[in-house]
Amino acid sequence: MNKALELFLGILTAVGGFVEIGELTFSLNAGRRFGYSLLWVVVLGTVGIVCYCEMAGRVAAVRKQPVFHLIRERAGLTAGLVTLLAANLVNLMTCAAEIGGIALIWQTMSGWPYRPLIVAAFVVLALAMWFLSFEWIERVFGLLGLFMVVFIAAAVHSGPDWGAVAAGLVPGLPQGDAGSGLALYAYYGVALLSSIMLPYETYFYASGAIEDRWTAKDINLNRIIVIVGSGVGSLLAVALISAGVEVLAPRGIEAELPGTAALAAATAFGKWGLLAALVGMLFAFAGAAIETAFSAAYNLGQFFGWPWGKFRPPRQAARFHGAWLVVLLLSTLLILSGLDPVDVVEYSIVFAVVTLPFTYFPLLVIAADRRVMREHANGKLANGLGWLFLAITTLAALAAIPLLVITHGGKG
Amino acid sequence: MNDEALDLVRDVLDHVVVDAEGVPCGMVDDLELEGNAGSTLRVCAVLLGAGAWSDRLPRPVRQLVRAVTGGDTVRIPWSEVAVTSDRIVLASTAAALGLDAPDRRIARWFERWRNRK
Repeated sequence: MNKALELFLGILTAVGGFVEIGELTFSLNAGRRFGYSLLWVVVLGTVGIVCYCEMAGRVAAVRKQPVFHLIRERAGLTAGLVTLLAANLVNLMTCAAEIGGIALIWQTMSGWPYRPLIVAAFVVLALAMWFLSFEWIERVFGLLGLFMVVFIAAAVHSGPDWGAVAAGLVPGLPQGDAGSGLALYAYYGVALLSSIMLPYETYFYASGAIEDRWTAKDINLNRIIVIVGSGVGSLLAVALISAGVEVLAPRGIEAELPGTAALAAATAFGKWGLLAALVGMLFAFAGAAIETAFSAAYNLGQFFGWPWGKFRPPRQAARFHGAWLVVLLLSTLLILSGLDPVDVVEYSIVFAVVTLPFTYFPLLVIAADRRVMREHANGKLANGLGWLFLAITTLAALAAIPLLVITHGGKG
Repeated sequence: MNDEALDLVRDVLDHVVVDAEGVPCGMVDDLELEGNAGSTLRVCAVLLGAGAWSDRLPRPVRQLVRAVTGGDTVRIPWSEVAVTSDRIVLASTAAALGLDAPDRRIARWFERWRNRK
């Protein structure tokens, strides 16, 4: 494929695939509760995900080694197995929440009953994952997820207080719901960071680089896609925080359903804004459901050395294809059991942050290793940022569970 | 590279194994060594499969893994193995060594399901 077209599509799919139900929920509620004062976490998380996705893509391109090969190789069997179980539990919960989110969006659009729509979501996702190639899955769900940019337009249209926006980029104490306390502010900060740096994004990105047969020649392509795609994608998170500040907070609305977000687009652009927001969320959630189900199968295949990859037909990589099908089915059953998708995603986001240091440490070690990466090893900037974000995610991981308990799951 | 001194933990254990056609077919889950105290240790074989890796886990987890997976182990003689910088390459195909058996079992299930439709 023409490199310019590949770069363009890569960036667009990265933008379209940036937001999922967890980031949407936490961004809206962070804005509603704390105004723009958590914007700096979005910036921090974006630099972190750029840093580690770039490393994951570079190692995959140069060494043809995806993340869970590295975890097994560098962390060893026991620590690796614990990471695998935790990562796949998070993948399962996130996938379940996305499937619930798809059903809720369809319900908003059609008025049909929720539970049959969950089953319909399973069938549609399974058929798409089985029959579409990896390239088309990326394009269809990534590009149609781009309808989410309506939130950026709505945020600008709402005429935010740009001074408050700029002040929010500097770390500080909470504005807005000051009575909620520092613990709740810290909880939302950790959750927002986790929702931007979700570990499945790194697993999926590195595995995708191998699916797309990247080589060392694609290192610059990797760098541009990660930086521009995540940078523009993070504007969506900023826009969702703005929707929380400008639309939800004045009306006293809590973002308990994903459809609440569409209110911001509808307020700004009427019926067409509402439709664009719903379509964008639908494809963003569907893309995230697919990515998490595939990520779980990638992780298993890479950890145990199975033949893996969508590019291999089911008869050659039957365990891999069976694994994603089982994860999708279990996620559907989990959400059919009556669990609220937003509750599930809140727990999955908090547990996800606990797995981040275990994912990032082996990646950093191998990306920095000149013996194996040679001239493509980390430079001073990548090493410095890598260690900094390892320290930040370790602190966030240590704080996540206590904050979840102290704030009663963010309820205050 | 096999005749040279190797850091077995760094360069062999828990590394991906690919067959003669480059298809992944497992990880080096354990190693079989021979040699007595005071003599040079030699690697006899690499061991693949749940039976091998579960032996490296604490006892209750090991028993659970074996109950769930059956605990099969495939032994590949060291003479059949080449160590490259990032992977372990076998001289034979996965099919010849029976390492593709789990995939074949599930593929047959997919096939039956497709024929039933």
